[in-house]
Amino acid sequence: MAALDPIAFLRATRPFGDLPAPLFERAAGSLEIAYFPAGARLAASGTVPLAHLYVIRKGAVRIERDGQMLQLLEEGEIFGYTSLITGKATLDVQVEEDLLAYRLPGAVFHELLTDARFASHFASGLAERLKHSLERAQVVTASADLGAAVETLVRRPPVRVGAGATVGEAARVMREHHVTSVLVETAPPGIVTDRDFRNKVLAEGLGPDTPVTRVYSAPLRTVPEKTAVYEAWQILLDTGVHHLPIARGGEILGVLTSSDLLRSAAQGPPAVLRSVERLGSREALPGYGGRVSEMASSLLAGGLDATVIAGFVARLNDALLTRILRWAEAELGPPPAPYAWIAFGSEGRMEQTLLTDQDNALVHGGDASCEPYFAALAERANTDLEAAGFPRCPGGYMAREHHAPLPEWEARFRGWIDDPKPQALLQAAIFFDFRKVHGALDLGPLEAVLARASKARVFLACMAKAALEFRPPPSLLMRLRGEEVDLKLHGISPIVFLARPYALEVGSTARNTLARLDAVVAAGLIGEDVRATLREAYRFLLGLRLREQARMLAEGKPPVNRVSLSALSSIERSRLKDSLRAIRDWQDTAAYHFKTDLF
Amino acid sequence: MLWPSPPWDEVVYWALDLETGGLDPRRDPIVAVGMVPLREGTVRLGESYQSLVRADGARAISAASVTAHQLVPGEVREAPPLEEVLGEIDRRLGDGVLLVHQAAIDVRFLRRAHRETGLRWPSPAVVDTVDLIVKAARKARFIDPAAQEHEPDLNLWAARARYGLPAYGAHDALTDAIATAELFLVLRRELGARTLRDLR
Repeated sequence: MAALDPIAFLRATRPFGDLPAPLFERAAGSLEIAYFPAGARLAASGTVPLAHLYVIRKGAVRIERDGQMLQLLEEGEIFGYTSLITGKATLDVQVEEDLLAYRLPGAVFHELLTDARFASHFASGLAERLKHSLERAQVVTASADLGAAVETLVRRPPVRVGAGATVGEAARVMREHHVTSVLVETAPPGIVTDRDFRNKVLAEGLGPDTPVTRVYSAPLRTVPEKTAVYEAWQILLDTGVHHLPIARGGEILGVLTSSDLLRSAAQGPPAVLRSVERLGSREALPGYGGRVSEMASSLLAGGLDATVIAGFVARLNDALLTRILRWAEAELGPPPAPYAWIAFGSEGRMEQTLLTDQDNALVHGGDASCEPYFAALAERANTDLEAAGFPRCPGGYMAREHHAPLPEWEARFRGWIDDPKPQALLQAAIFFDFRKVHGALDLGPLEAVLARASKARVFLACMAKAALEFRPPPSLLMRLRGEEVDLKLHGISPIVFLARPYALEVGSTARNTLARLDAVVAAGLIGEDVRATLREAYRFLLGLRLREQARMLAEGKPPVNRVSLSALSSIERSRLKDSLRAIRDWQDTAAYHFKTDLF
Repeated sequence: MLWPSPPWDEVVYWALDLETGGLDPRRDPIVAVGMVPLREGTVRLGESYQSLVRADGARAISAASVTAHQLVPGEVREAPPLEEVLGEIDRRLGDGVLLVHQAAIDVRFLRRAHRETGLRWPSPAVVDTVDLIVKAARKARFIDPAAQEHEPDLNLWAARARYGLPAYGAHDALTDAIATAELFLVLRRELGARTLRDLR
């Protein structure tokens, strides 16, 4: 078809531009142009579904449910696919501004859906779409099927020894079968691994006649056969075990090793964890940040939710930090008192996807005489973290400046709650997201101070008020075109900052934003539906930011939070608007709840 | 009126635009045509038709129109002859109403072309978007006398801009036919026309 303007417009609209030539010709050849004046109702919920896929050329359309506006769609945006895919009219579609639309008959849309790339644009799963976008952007080279069940990785049935076997017999069976673990047929069954031989037999000076039951682990910690590969990684990282027996009902199908899981994704968390475990010295630290961002991109490409990826990044960072602190302890000698290394900010909330500035501090159980030791420890750890790819915190929230005895921390925490001046609120916002990463000191007293915040109405109101200063700009709620959005400032931070006072009010010890929302729902402060929308918005924003930042890194640019709207597909743009709208609605409710206008 | 007129969207309209070798319908040749139908009130791009017309040598294309249409005489020499193109036009007009912007000019070009080639002009019903612009302006003045001091701009692209329709890049016969069809949809609504009669 000729280079007509409507055809060119369709070509420039995602996902039509990606269609192979014959399918695009099919679309172009059946294109219709329709005009509807403002006020026209194109579809009413529960009646006749739309029979066409519409691309807005000029004008705007309002999508409503029960009289509530869900979306305002504008030039270049697409609608009608829900009707065409489900065959039902579930929403009201109303013309907001005189509408000139290009449209395709439903039958043609269904033909176009045979193209996987085109179809994936309309897939309901967000992860699916992000995965698709990432593949297009060619940020990553490998993409594993992370949702696959672990049973697909099992290569052989388990090797077993009787309950009365000795460690010598068990070792010989393992050698014969070339395996690194063996099941012990006790009731309930247990497992013995090559690590047990090293750590419990040889290191303890036990002989080959030692009963295997003296060194084995029982009962077995099994994983159901249908567990997703990425969930198995989480278990591996959380428990520190290297062997996962896979169970179907009461039967063990086989034992997966961390190496098996490693092979399932060369850039996955097990690979990074292994590289952390093998870090011999400080010289090996550079490159860690790069490995983590590669891992994050590859997991995103594998279809994993950004919030799940953040969980992996946090676990790996924790493992790295533990390693770093052990080096420091080895060099400086054992600590004079128990201590706790705490992380704040996104690391405290386990919401970090790419490495960001360090936010950490040290709490110790000693007196002032211990300060020099902990100052030196913190100095080393901060320097090592920087070498690994965590930049210094520009605000100076780092352990090298922030190390103090526990009572001093308690006093600071109390002070912020009792006298919520602006500076105190700023400190509280940072430090109250603390999470202990390493160390033997019990931080129960600090948690106890936080628990007092639930009764401190003035403090909570002030904190909520400060959080409400981060608002999606009104102009972004309706018209998103040719502009940039700061995903952090306008989207992510408003959710994170407001979840904090709510969680403190209900006395939750959760730090993670989604976990805080769960606690707030459980306490009945916000509704299930509000949580569902916020969760979706939060995941979407986090995923979008990660994808865009991964692309910036791949292009050799520093990752920033601002994204250009023209880089997003029309569906992403409308999801972004939905997300910002959900945030604003929640903020309005919160202002009322905390009575922020009184403070 | 005695005859009932069909509802406007039950009629098929063929939006048509001609590119000509000059502005004089008595002398200048038709060099290109673009047509697109409106069925059930929507423009059907897939059924659009466009063609150049072979120059018969007797009528030179003026230098000015070559620039305006970006056509070169060579292209026009390869094109099908006028008879054939008129046959294609007439076949389409057989099932509908002719929709043009400024009928006075295009219809006169078409009539003369038919006469010269010995074909019978099918005399379709004609809807002219220029008439509709004038009607819409009159209606606006009737509702609010202060609304429009001046005469409305009758230029196709100026009128489209006034009604919020997009500007298009290329200006060939088919694009102008599509542009006319879209403008028609807006004007139809503006006038609240319900039958074909309301549009004529």
